[in-house]
Amino acid sequence: MVGDLVIESTALTKAYGPHVALDSLDIEIHQGATGLLGPNGAGKSTFLKTILGLIQVTSGDGKVLGHDIRTQGDQIRQKIGYMPEYDALNPGMDAIHQVRYSGELMGMNPSIALQRAHQSLEYVGLGEQRYRQVSTFSTGMKQATKLACALIHDPALIIADEPSNGLDAFTRNFMLNTLNTTVKNGGRSVLMASHLMDDVERVCDNIVLLHKGKLAAQGKIEDLKAIDREVEIHVWGSATKMEETLSDRGLRVRREGRVMRIGHSGDETYDLILQTAADVGSQVRRMHDYEASLEDLFLVIMERLGHDVKSSEDLLGGA
Amino acid sequence: MSEIKSPGEPFEPEPTKNETFGSETPVTGQTKMQAAWSSDVENAESTAQVASMPTGQIFQQIYQPWNGTLNPRWMRNWAILRHHVLGIVSKGHRPWNVPTKLFIFFVVIASMTDAAMALLFGMIGDTTLYDIWGVNRDNMYGHVMGFFPRNILWYPIIAALLVGGMISEDRANGTSAMYFSRPINRFDYAAMKFLSVGLILFFVINGTLAVYYFVDILVMGKGWSWIIDTFPMFMATFLCGIILSFTYTSIGLALSSVSRGRFFPAIGLIAILMGTKSMAAIIDGLFDKSVLYVISPYDAVAHVCQALIGTEMTYDHPWVWSLISVVVMNGLALYLLANRVSSLEVTRE
Repeated sequence: MVGDLVIESTALTKAYGPHVALDSLDIEIHQGATGLLGPNGAGKSTFLKTILGLIQVTSGDGKVLGHDIRTQGDQIRQKIGYMPEYDALNPGMDAIHQVRYSGELMGMNPSIALQRAHQSLEYVGLGEQRYRQVSTFSTGMKQATKLACALIHDPALIIADEPSNGLDAFTRNFMLNTLNTTVKNGGRSVLMASHLMDDVERVCDNIVLLHKGKLAAQGKIEDLKAIDREVEIHVWGSATKMEETLSDRGLRVRREGRVMRIGHSGDETYDLILQTAADVGSQVRRMHDYEASLEDLFLVIMERLGHDVKSSEDLLGGA
Repeated sequence: MSEIKSPGEPFEPEPTKNETFGSETPVTGQTKMQAAWSSDVENAESTAQVASMPTGQIFQQIYQPWNGTLNPRWMRNWAILRHHVLGIVSKGHRPWNVPTKLFIFFVVIASMTDAAMALLFGMIGDTTLYDIWGVNRDNMYGHVMGFFPRNILWYPIIAALLVGGMISEDRANGTSAMYFSRPINRFDYAAMKFLSVGLILFFVINGTLAVYYFVDILVMGKGWSWIIDTFPMFMATFLCGIILSFTYTSIGLALSSVSRGRFFPAIGLIAILMGTKSMAAIIDGLFDKSVLYVISPYDAVAHVCQALIGTEMTYDHPWVWSLISVVVMNGLALYLLANRVSSLEVTRE
């Protein structure tokens, strides 16, 4: 599936003096929605600036939509729609003119930019509010306006930096649905940096996880979840003995009362659990694969990297 | 009067006005409610009401692709220039505040005082007054470089109002990301911002100068020989206007680029222009040495312009020193501007 790559990098390294912000990254981001995750200082911002062609890399290569990040920054930025995390709108301008101007900065003719601005604002749900000044907008409306600015020239790739930051439940839902629609119906790709695992999981099929400038994990969320696959059982009777025996037989067991989660190590795991239950005289009243969330996956990866964290908020909250 | 019926006649009830339940009653859409166990008057008059959901608009989210072609670099730069310059006169572009627009309008009108006077005295044929106000070397110099009121009240304040938020507001509002996440490079960004402020100043200073010159030609019916004679002088003054606009703009934008607000760059520019001049004037008054005027942007430009236009020199030191000062001042300001613009962030300020 090389043909559908939107971003690829080989040994991409960026150093600021002795500090290595990106350390030999080999990343492949395919078409569709991808979440960009990582704790503070992981290199997310540097990575975004690199793929926007704004900073020169120290070594390695990278391509975005087939363009070289070293030499074709302008071409890359013409095909990307960037939605920044923080306010990036002139508060004194009307939404329609703000979006039109962002189109003009892409090189669109003023009249065409105005027409597209109407379409974009309609698409992000601000059709009726487009002549209002940005300063009167709520946070959700500002986020939507930024998205409209990013979408005006119909980019092949949208980079959304914390798109649901500061939004209430309704507007957050709408924003995520809009990104979903852009990917599913519009056929565009989204690279979404967020510290909200639920949001990433709702929109994205893939993730890229950075840690201290290095690639910690990348790929389909479903595939990555397999590294933390567990079987959940509800045990009645001799639970402690059952737990000990399962551990003795080489299985990884986490127990909370009568509920146990056992590391999945192949199809034989189910037989082994049932056999153990029969041996120790326990009843297994319920057994099913435990559906790990992205949050669980993140914590497992971080644990493997030596972080003792209780939730993603500990690491990403201030990101 | 109703007819009295005798006993024994069959009783026929009169139809009531409220009867609406008959099979012949037309369906009007409004139904009367009748209670099942009573039918007092109040209830008979009641009207059934059904709670209705508020009708909302239908929103269908459809992604609409666009297959147009994006224009090249010059068009993007033109968009930046147009955005800033047209904002002075029309809505939908950069929102300049009302005091700025009004002040520019006032200065444009006030700057044409000499043109109006030349027109007036030329038309009434008063040669003495025309000689005072008409086009000549000193008046041309005065139009651009005159200190009071032009270079103390008008042009520096316009420059201060223009540069105030030019870059600092991009930093404060985060709109720098809007430029740099698009195919706009930092040179183009700074250059177009510079050109926008410079162009507005140019319109005010050089535009009114051109009006003054051409009004004189038209009113007095000047011939080609006069035009050929004075045109180099006009062009020299024109060049001085450009140098003045350039210098005010470069210093002002440099200040704007180091700030996040509108106030500091504006006050800073006026403080630099007036402060250096005041200090040099004090030194000149005390020690009769004009050389310190090289630190004053206004005086350095004025000295160079005196040399270019050919008016009487009011400074004792060589004008080349002032020229070097102008070059150095602009160089430093542009260096600071370039340095600060290169530090404007895209991902986070």
